[in-house]
Amino acid sequence: MSDNKQLDQNKREEPLTLLSRSAITGFVGGVFWGLLATLLAYFNFTEVAPKAYVLRSWTTASWTNGWLGTVITILILGGISILVAFIYYLFMRKINTMWMGVAYGAILWGIVFFVLEPIFTNIKPIRELNQETIVTTICLYVLYGTFIGYSLSYDYHDKVMKAKNEKNMQA
Amino acid sequence: MRQKDDKIGISLNINENKEYMEKRLGMDVSFDLGFREVIILKRKVHVYYLTGLCDSIIIQDLLKELVNLNDHETNSRKLPEIVENRLLHQQVDRAKTMDESVDQMLSGLIVVFIDGEKFSFIVDVRHYPGRTPEEPDTERVIRGSRDGYTENIIENTALTRRRLRDARLRHEMLKVGERSKTDVCLSYVKDIADEGLIHLIKKKIEEIEIDGISMADKTIEEFIIERKWNPYPLVRYTERPDVAANHLLEGHVLILVDTSPSAIILPTTFFHHLQHAEEYRQAPAIGTFVRWIRFLAILASMYLLPLWLLFVLDPTILPKALTFIGPNEEGNIPIMLQIVMAIIGIEFLRMAAIHTPTPLSTSMGLIAAVLIGQIAIDVGMFTPEVILYVSISAIGSYVTPSYELSVANKVVNILLVIITGFLGAVGFVIGVSLHLIYLVNLKSIKTPYLWPFLPFNPRAMLQIIFRIPVPYSNSRPSIVHPKNNYRQPKGKK
Repeated sequence: MSDNKQLDQNKREEPLTLLSRSAITGFVGGVFWGLLATLLAYFNFTEVAPKAYVLRSWTTASWTNGWLGTVITILILGGISILVAFIYYLFMRKINTMWMGVAYGAILWGIVFFVLEPIFTNIKPIRELNQETIVTTICLYVLYGTFIGYSLSYDYHDKVMKAKNEKNMQA
Repeated sequence: MRQKDDKIGISLNINENKEYMEKRLGMDVSFDLGFREVIILKRKVHVYYLTGLCDSIIIQDLLKELVNLNDHETNSRKLPEIVENRLLHQQVDRAKTMDESVDQMLSGLIVVFIDGEKFSFIVDVRHYPGRTPEEPDTERVIRGSRDGYTENIIENTALTRRRLRDARLRHEMLKVGERSKTDVCLSYVKDIADEGLIHLIKKKIEEIEIDGISMADKTIEEFIIERKWNPYPLVRYTERPDVAANHLLEGHVLILVDTSPSAIILPTTFFHHLQHAEEYRQAPAIGTFVRWIRFLAILASMYLLPLWLLFVLDPTILPKALTFIGPNEEGNIPIMLQIVMAIIGIEFLRMAAIHTPTPLSTSMGLIAAVLIGQIAIDVGMFTPEVILYVSISAIGSYVTPSYELSVANKVVNILLVIITGFLGAVGFVIGVSLHLIYLVNLKSIKTPYLWPFLPFNPRAMLQIIFRIPVPYSNSRPSIVHPKNNYRQPKGKK
């Protein structure tokens, strides 16, 4: 296929760099799972809404109760998640299994509910939360961790494989 | 495929060949094998064929032509060349061994032996009984082409080729089945499809050792995929050549199996099962709308029933605005049992509808509507709301474009209802999470099942959420690892 070389189709566009992709993944992950958490809180699956952490822990202004509070909460969650994604990217992206993402989510849950607990004075300590809340939040964090972790690991692995394949083709 | 060490060559003595054929094929027992001996230029010529798969007029024409040689030719030493010249057909080959001759004859080709020659002529006159292309039942569209694949693999490859005149489209023929010798065709576009993927699939097909694959594509699928017990469909079937051609252009690999009208598309993700040709026949905005409604229906078919059951079991979790949800009176049977019974009842109907002959289906519909609809409520078996929600969920599963996916979702649905019934909110949340994690963990030919949602790929996800106008969707999906990425070389910025 020598004439192939001239085909415009064969030129590759510069793909998004892994880092910017992790930022997007983090943001979308934060927004999506944040929305789901808000929905679950609305249906009383969990006593603690994301809003309680992100806004209500430092302000009790009346706007935080309305839809504006929810939107801002979700956006802030997206921002925080970019950070969460970068941390995963720095330390764990080379582990190519979804179970690392699951573990990452569980670890995040532990950090928020145990280590950071004293910061959020407006939220009941974990022993006083009901069973549904604990189970729901663990599940949410695990899925959230999987979303970010597995996506980043897969992206990284995919890129490495592609580079390897291209090297093989040239050789 | 195993090689036989005793590949018997064709004997110079034609009577030995005849003896071999008689013994190997049981010519005196099977009635569908035909044999005719003619004498041409004082040498014996034997013609073998399969009565069902060859047109008798063609055989008569060939014989007439051969017998006429006696009147026009004299040089009996040049008989093979003369015969080859006079076998008036575009596909004439020579076979060197008896094995090959037998195989070809059983595929419906005519085999001609000439006394004193070490080869046979194979004439490809086969004509398989079959139907003409029709619109496939499961993938109807309102506008667009109405042809679909048939049971004939040659016709099927032709239908694909008609939509893709690319010189780089490859139809690779393989044979599977020690006894059935079924044709399996691997289709791909050479400079798009990932070579590693092609090799992997080819290797897996060649490794199959089985006597026959009467269930055609399904058997091939079971040999190719890794998770044999998993309920979710790991390959996508299509009976539409336009869908097939589109996937070839995206860099997918197709497997066509003779005697089956469905092509297997590889690799496949969950979201392939949620798309339908109809969306691409509508304006992009309408296509997007159709798709969202469909997503909603599929979500309902999976999660609506357990969620509603949860609200019934524990009305305290409902927000104030929604407290009207839930039955006014619970009836005599626990709601969970009612739901499971209603789902099973609908499954009865579905299965009956598949097997019921058309004249009986009207009465079946009547019985179903009256029984499930009214009497079950009147005798106090079901509360009306159960029937409402089970019906919505059932319709949702009929909306699913992929039949296999809808059945798998139904199984999950029942499991979720049961776990919610026993464990309440905790059961529901854990059940849904485990279901999601299970799907994430699934892989179809090294492809994550929930891609591009998880692992997340922004660009591909956009293509799933919106039906993007074709002029704007320029790159091929990265999941197939296409060798070249652009669909519209001149159109890109």
